[in-house]
Formats: sequence, structure tokens, C-alpha cells
Amino acid sequence: MNNPVISVKGLVKEYGQGATLVKALRGVDLDIPRGSFTCIIGPSGHGKSTLMHLLGGLDHPTSGSVCIDGQIMSQLNNKDLAELRAKKIGFVFQFFNLLQSLTAKENIETALMLAGVPDKEQDRRANELLELVGLGEKANAKPGQLSGGQQQRVAIARAIANNPPVLLMDEPTGNLDSEAEAEVMKILENLKRQGKTIIFVTHSHEIAAKADNIVSVRDGQVQVPQEFKKAS
Amino acid sequence: MTNTKLIFKSITRRKGRFLFTLLGIMIGMASFVTFMALGGSLKSQIERESAALGANLVVTPKGSCAYEQVSILTGEQLPTNITKDEVAAIRSIEGMTAIPYLAERSAIKNRPVSVMGILPDETKVFKNWTLAKGNYFNGANADGAVLGSVLAEQFELLPGSEVRVRGNQIKVLGVLEETGGKDDLTVFLSLPVAQSLYDQKDLVSYVAVRVDRLDEVDLYANKIKDKVSLGVVSDKQMRSSVLSIVGTVNITLQMIAAIAILAAAFGIVNTMMTATYERKREIGILQAMGATRNGIFKLFIFESGIYGLIGGIGGSVLGGLAAVFVSPYISQNAATSFVKGAQSSPDPMMLAGAILFSTLVAMVAGLYPAIKASKLSPVEAISYE
Repeated sequence: MNNPVISVKGLVKEYGQGATLVKALRGVDLDIPRGSFTCIIGPSGHGKSTLMHLLGGLDHPTSGSVCIDGQIMSQLNNKDLAELRAKKIGFVFQFFNLLQSLTAKENIETALMLAGVPDKEQDRRANELLELVGLGEKANAKPGQLSGGQQQRVAIARAIANNPPVLLMDEPTGNLDSEAEAEVMKILENLKRQGKTIIFVTHSHEIAAKADNIVSVRDGQVQVPQEFKKAS
Repeated sequence: MTNTKLIFKSITRRKGRFLFTLLGIMIGMASFVTFMALGGSLKSQIERESAALGANLVVTPKGSCAYEQVSILTGEQLPTNITKDEVAAIRSIEGMTAIPYLAERSAIKNRPVSVMGILPDETKVFKNWTLAKGNYFNGANADGAVLGSVLAEQFELLPGSEVRVRGNQIKVLGVLEETGGKDDLTVFLSLPVAQSLYDQKDLVSYVAVRVDRLDEVDLYANKIKDKVSLGVVSDKQMRSSVLSIVGTVNITLQMIAAIAILAAAFGIVNTMMTATYERKREIGILQAMGATRNGIFKLFIFESGIYGLIGGIGGSVLGGLAAVFVSPYISQNAATSFVKGAQSSPDPMMLAGAILFSTLVAMVAGLYPAIKASKLSPVEAISYE
């Protein structure tokens, strides 16, 4: 694995203290190759989301390190971590991704604003991104006026707004019907072709079957990447 | 998208809650501005009335209190316990000028007005009046009335027209030049005419005294007390006691307004707390998108500041209008009787101060919710459903 975009070493995350201590991650080592489509699979409650949050710089590890695109996160303060989230990572979650009071376009513009893109350029970029996910005509629709699949496409457009090298997706299709899921997957395949690294938490075997790389999380530990395709 | 736009989008998403919270702070600020505007010119107006009285000493009925002193300055009706003999005894003291007044009330077109019985020639000199229109009284017990300028204008009275006082039609002789005080709102009659109209034969309400040498005011106060068993108060004492009674009422009103603002501030705290709970997940999404804690803090603190800003502007407009339109109708008590004559249009600096104050109060109110919102951990916020 040459030049991994994400490199994780000895990652430990514990919650609580004493009797209530929960060891969510118990020493994870992991390299994610640049430009790969990696699926994280595993039972609920075994540390998938915790791993996602740490990879995305949303939380601080108890020990260990996460290095993303050459930056070691544990060395960053909250402000720099926020900037890293704005520029290096795009998040898509399963539910309620969008800011409900803003239109589709405004949601994308907000992400651009947070990365420091000037007001004028935001407009142009937001329109481009909406076209890219096939929602050019829904620019002024509020999330409530969009279907689940359309909302997720807006969320993807927003996640890639600042051209981050890494996309972190926490079951983005978990709530969609097959048709909407297919649309989302098509967009992701295009993004992969453009060189984006996509990390995708899923329960779906079909999606995992398309992955270059499968990371199985069980009991807070990463199991040796298995050849999911062959196993299934 | 800009931060400002984002804040406005957030604040207006719950229109009802936005409106009601806004109304709270607006009503608080409106009452505050109204009382400030009404009270603002009070002190200068009291001093103007006291100067317009032109007296160093005022002789009042025995046992009169601060309320009567307020009435002397505002032209309210006063008890008439000073007799002709007492007036004569005071006027016999050398080295000072003493002018008796009978202070009564009447109504023109259902609006209360002051009626004063005066010694025409002496009062004119004492008060340094000049006539704007028509003629003055042509003798000590002349019939007819002379009017203050504002009153004449308000009721469209001119020399030759008639004014009704206590059921009697009285001919208007003339109108005085504007004095800037309550004399502008008074109907003047000659003392004997006023005494007979109000059945107060040989009685007056108070006597205004001007001494020839200012450094002997105290001496003359004692001389008067030696001659008659009446109250004697210096203009300074009268001013300070009137200011203190009126000031107390005024401060009480402003305190009530301050409590209204305080209650409104808690309304803002409540609204903003609800907003932080309601938007918990959105705060997480914003953080995932790269918003800093400081950025989240600013979004919330400015959002509550906007309540104060809009509430302050709205409250100032409402309060200013209330001060202008309401003041003519609230002239019937000690605190507000000065307001009637005063210019109660609010001072622009005071309005700017009120808007600033309201914005600051709202931002202080928003401090706790904003800190709470900014302290949310991204993971906790995102996991909230």
C-alpha cells in the first residue's frame, strides 16, 4: 500500500470510567489506499461509527494516531481540526444530513462558506455541484420537498463541495430504496474515477461486493481485511 | 451564503416563536422608552416652572406638603386657606414683592385647564409678561380673561371669543406671548373675578414672594413666619422636594419597565435554549462541515442579538409614539403633570442608547445558550436524534 491517504496506528477509544468503561476501539491499525473504495462492515455496536468519527476528526482518540493526507490529527487543536474537516473530508450520514431551514443550494453554499470560499464563487460552484448530482432544477427546494434519495445526493454534493480527498459515509444508502441507492452508487463510482477516496460504512453485502477493500470491525478491533467477494 | 444570512435563516424558521419572543422584548423596550421619554424632560421642566414662578419664597397654607408644592408648579387646584388679612400682612413687609394667586381648575371641551386668579398689573410686572394679541386687564377687578398662548391655540380662542369657566361665559381680552411654562396653558382672571366665580371670597391659594436682596431670603422667610402662621418654602427647597417626589415616581416606573425587559430577556434565553436543543443535530452537521466552536458560538450569540436589535428598534418606535400621543392624556398626577407642558418627543441619543441597550441585554441573554451550543461535542451532536 503505497502512500495511503489515511494511516491509523494503535487507535484506542474508551468512553466512561471505572465500572462503566467502554472500550469502543482496542488498538486499530489501518491504512486506506488513496483513491480506493473501502467498505467498513461489522455488527452494530462494535465500533464502526466510533472509527468513522475518529477518521473524520470529529472526536479525539484516547491513544493512538490518525494521519490524514499527511496531517497527524492528534497534533491539531479544535480550530485546525475544524479546518481539516472543512477541506479534507466530506461527510455523509444516514439521516438528516441537511440543514432543514436552507434550500439544497444554500446547504452546499454553507459548506463552501465554512471553507472560506467567497460569496460570489459559492453560487457558481453550488450550481455546478447540483448539476453533477443531477439536481440542477431542485436548487431552491428545501430538504422537506426532496425525496430521501435526492436529499442524499444533495448531501454528497455538499460533501464534495470543497474538493476533499476523502469522503466518509455512514450508511448513506441505509435508508433508501434500490432505485435511489443505485443513483447514489453511480455518483460514487464517478467520484472514485476522479480519484476520491471513499470510505463507506454499510450493512449491505451488495455494496461491499463492489469495494476495493473491506475493513471488518468486530469487538473494537479490525479484523484482517477479508476477501468479501469470495466469502459471499 | 454568509454568516449573516445563515443567522437570519435560522432565526426566522420558527416564525411564531420568533414573533412572540420579539414581541416580549419589544413591549419591554417600548415601556422603557416611553417612561424615559416622559421622564427625560421632567427635571428641566420643573426648573423652568420654578423659574417662571419668579419667586424666591412661596407662602403656602399651614401644613402643606410636597404634593401642594408640585401643584404650585403645575397649576393644579389648591386649597384656599390664606385669607385677605394674611395676604395684607405679608404684603406690608418692606424689601420684598408678594403676589397672591388663586389656583383653580376648569375644563374647556372636556379638557382640564388651569384657572388662575391674579393681581393683573402686579403679576404682569412680576412675571415679565408681554401680550401677543388683544388687550390686557384694564383694572384690578376687570372682567374678562387673558389666555396662555398654547391654550389659545389649542382651543382656537382669539381676543373677542368667549371661554366658559365654571358655567360662565367669559370674554377673552388677550393672549400672552409664549413663556415655555404652564402659564401657556392657563386661563388668567383678575383675582376678584376668580374669587367670586369659585366662591372663595377673600381667599387665595398661595403667595409668591420675591425679595429685593437675594442674600436675605432666609431673613425674609422668618419675617413672614413672624407675621402669619403659614408655611414658607424657598424656591430651592420647593424644587428639590418636587424633584425628589417626581423623581421617585419616575424611577419606579423605569424600574417596572426594567422588570419587563428582564422578563423579555428570559424569554430570549428560553427561545435560544429551545433552539440549541432543536438544532443539536444541525450543530453537529455544521461541525462536520468544518464549523469551529467559535463559529457556532457566534451564530447563536448574534441570533439572540438580533432579537434585541429588532426588539429595540420596534420598541423605540412604539415607545416614542406612545410618549408623543399619550402624554397629553396623562396630566393628572404628580409625576406626570409636568409632562403635559413638556416636549416629550424622545431624544435621538436616548433612542440609540435604548437600541444598543436592548441588543446588549439580548446578547447577554443568549450567552448561556450560545456557550452550551458551542460546547457540544460533534459526535454527541451528530448522534442526537
